[in-house]
Amino acid sequence: MGGQACVFYGAAEFSRDIDFAILANGTNFARLKNALAELDAEVIAVPPFSLKYLRKGHAVHFRCRHPEAAGLRIDLMTKMRGVDSFSKLWARRTTMALPDGTRCDLLSLPDLVQAKKTQRDKDWPMLRRLVEAHFFDHARTHRSAHVKFWLRELRTPELLIEATRKAPVAARRLTSRRPLLHQALAGDARALQVALRREEELERASDRGYWKPLKVELESLRHAKV
Amino acid sequence: MIQPEELVGEEWAEWYRLTPVERWLESEKLWQTYLALGGSLDPESDTQSPFFDSKAPRSRLAHGRTSVRVLRRGRV
Repeated sequence: MGGQACVFYGAAEFSRDIDFAILANGTNFARLKNALAELDAEVIAVPPFSLKYLRKGHAVHFRCRHPEAAGLRIDLMTKMRGVDSFSKLWARRTTMALPDGTRCDLLSLPDLVQAKKTQRDKDWPMLRRLVEAHFFDHARTHRSAHVKFWLRELRTPELLIEATRKAPVAARRLTSRRPLLHQALAGDARALQVALRREEELERASDRGYWKPLKVELESLRHAKV
Repeated sequence: MIQPEELVGEEWAEWYRLTPVERWLESEKLWQTYLALGGSLDPESDTQSPFFDSKAPRSRLAHGRTSVRVLRRGRV
């Protein structure tokens, strides 16, 4: 669900760790423990590796010591702000087969886009690239589901205006959910740019609010550890 | 219809045109080069991340230096 998924979908992130969204139940937790043991992975920082913290929305961080993955960082999460439950994510996943036969299950693009709406600067250009790449890849086929996805998620004013020109009725229907489509329908790129920035600010503020209690808990765990 | 080149330039347009697996393989090549040059696996410190801990110790490379350093500095 991290940088590797972004590369697959068309953005470019040189991520030095691997992020996994996982199912936090007893059976899977046991399997996960075995897999991490095979990588000789140790927990670094807080919180500890437990279902309790994963279910609360924390990420658990590991560093691998196995010679074939020495130093590699792995982050696990099971819950993300604004993102559906794991079972829904799993049902919508994208499965990729690498040339060596390895299969990788990735968050679907709409789910990845949602997960990337964070408080961090670096996620927003990524988000824009992810949806742009999808737009250019599918603009000719013009499927209704794609158009709705673009209208909901595009962050490039020029493309958003183009999408509303292609599907004005769908765009008007979605204005209650995404008010800045009014500016896109009016073809006002400048006002749209301002509205996109505002939309981003609101999402970032929501993410900070979501993390506030979790950060307090992390801080107390750090103190308890010292 | 707007073409990718008009909007994002040649380099990004070319990247967008690759298939997902081609992008993955290109990214892998970059990784191999990065590691061959002694690049660190420590994620970059991100003060905006909710996981950021300013007091956390950071692992260091065996030679004790950062993996990227200035060898020659030009005049401003």
